[in-house]
Amino acid sequence: MEGQGKAMMMEGVENSKGREKAAVGGACDLVLRLLALALTLAAAIVVGVDNHTKVVPIKILDGLPPVNVPVPAKWHYLSAFVYFLVANAIASTYGAFSLVLAIINKGKSRGLGSLITVLDALMVALLFSGNGAASAVGVLGYYGNSHVQWKKVCNVFDNFCHQFAASVLLSLLGSAAFLLLVLLPLLRLQRRN
Amino acid sequence: MASRDKTEDPEHRLSSTPIPAPAAGVDYFHFDLILRFLLFASSLVAVVVMVTSNQTEYVPLPRPAKFRYSPAFIYFVAAFSVSGLYSILTALASLSVIRKPALKTKFLLYFLFWDALILGILASATGTAGGVAYVGLKGNNHVGWHKICNVYDKYCRHVGGSIGVGLVGSIVSVLLVWLSAFSLHSRVPQ
Repeated sequence: MEGQGKAMMMEGVENSKGREKAAVGGACDLVLRLLALALTLAAAIVVGVDNHTKVVPIKILDGLPPVNVPVPAKWHYLSAFVYFLVANAIASTYGAFSLVLAIINKGKSRGLGSLITVLDALMVALLFSGNGAASAVGVLGYYGNSHVQWKKVCNVFDNFCHQFAASVLLSLLGSAAFLLLVLLPLLRLQRRN
Repeated sequence: MASRDKTEDPEHRLSSTPIPAPAAGVDYFHFDLILRFLLFASSLVAVVVMVTSNQTEYVPLPRPAKFRYSPAFIYFVAAFSVSGLYSILTALASLSVIRKPALKTKFLLYFLFWDALILGILASATGTAGGVAYVGLKGNNHVGWHKICNVYDKYCRHVGGSIGVGLVGSIVSVLLVWLSAFSLHSRVPQ
C-alpha cells in the first residue's frame, strides 16, 4: 500500500516535471517559429531591395573617349532569384500564420499539431530548393562557366552580389529553423522515454 | 497544483501504460518500405541519366558537354548518390522493424531525423540543378549568358529528365518525413 502511494507520488512528480518540460518545448517551438519568420522575411526584403545600377565605361572606337553606359542589375532579371524571393515570401507568410495557430493551439489539439508539422516539412523543401537555385545561379555569377562561355558578372556588380549573398545566408538560417521545427517532436518524444 | 496533478493522473497513466504494447500509436512500416524503394529507384535513375548525358557537338570544332562541367550538376549527382545509399540502408532497417517490432519508436526517431536531413539535401540539389538548367534552356540576355540547349539537345534532354526524376525523389522524401512525423505524433503524449 505504502509502495503504491510512493509510486503514485513519484508518478505525480514525474508528471509535473513532464509538463514543465513540455512548456519549455512549447516556448522553444514559438521562439524557433518567430526566428524562422523573421529570417525568411529579412531574406525576402533584402533580395527585394537589391537593385544597383553600375556605370560602365564602354569604348566604341579607339579615337573617341569611352562612353559611360549605366547598366542596371535587378533581382527580377534572373528567374532563380524570383523563385527564391517567392519561396521566402511564402515561408514567412506561413511562419506568421503558424505562429498564431501555435499560440492559439498551445499543444492541445493533436491533429492541428500534425498539420503544422506537415506544412513545416513542406516549407523545408520549398526553402531548400529556393536556396539551392539562388545559390547555384549566384555561384555562376561569381565564377562564371568557361565551358559554355557564361562570363562572371560579380566583378562588375559587386554590391549587388554581396547583398544577394547576405540574403542567401539569412534564408539558409531560416530554413535551418524550419528544419529544427520539424525535428522538435523528436526531442519531445525522447524526453518521454 | 497538487489537485490538478491528481485529476490528471488517471489520464496520464492511461496514455502511458500501453508503451510496451505494439498497439501504442499507428505505424505504416509497409508503406514506409514502399516509399524507400521508390526513393532508391528515383535516385538511381536520376544519377544514371545525369551521368550518361555526354554529348559532343562539332561547331565546327568538337566541343563536348558533360555534366561535370557544372558544379551544380556535380552536387546533384552526389546528393542523389547519397540518397540512394541511404534508402537502401533504411529500407533494410524498415524490414528489420517489420520483423521485430520491439524497437519501433527508436527507429521512428532516427528515421525522422535522417529523413528530414535527406529532404533538405535532395530539395536543395533539385533546386540547384533546376536553376542552372533553366539558365541553359532559356539563356539570360541581361547578364549575357547564351542558351545552350539549341546546340546540345540530347544533353539537355538527359539533364531535364534527370531533374524531373529528381523532383519525384524529393517529393517521395517529403512523404517519408510526413509518414514518420504522423507515426511519431500519434505517440507523443499531450
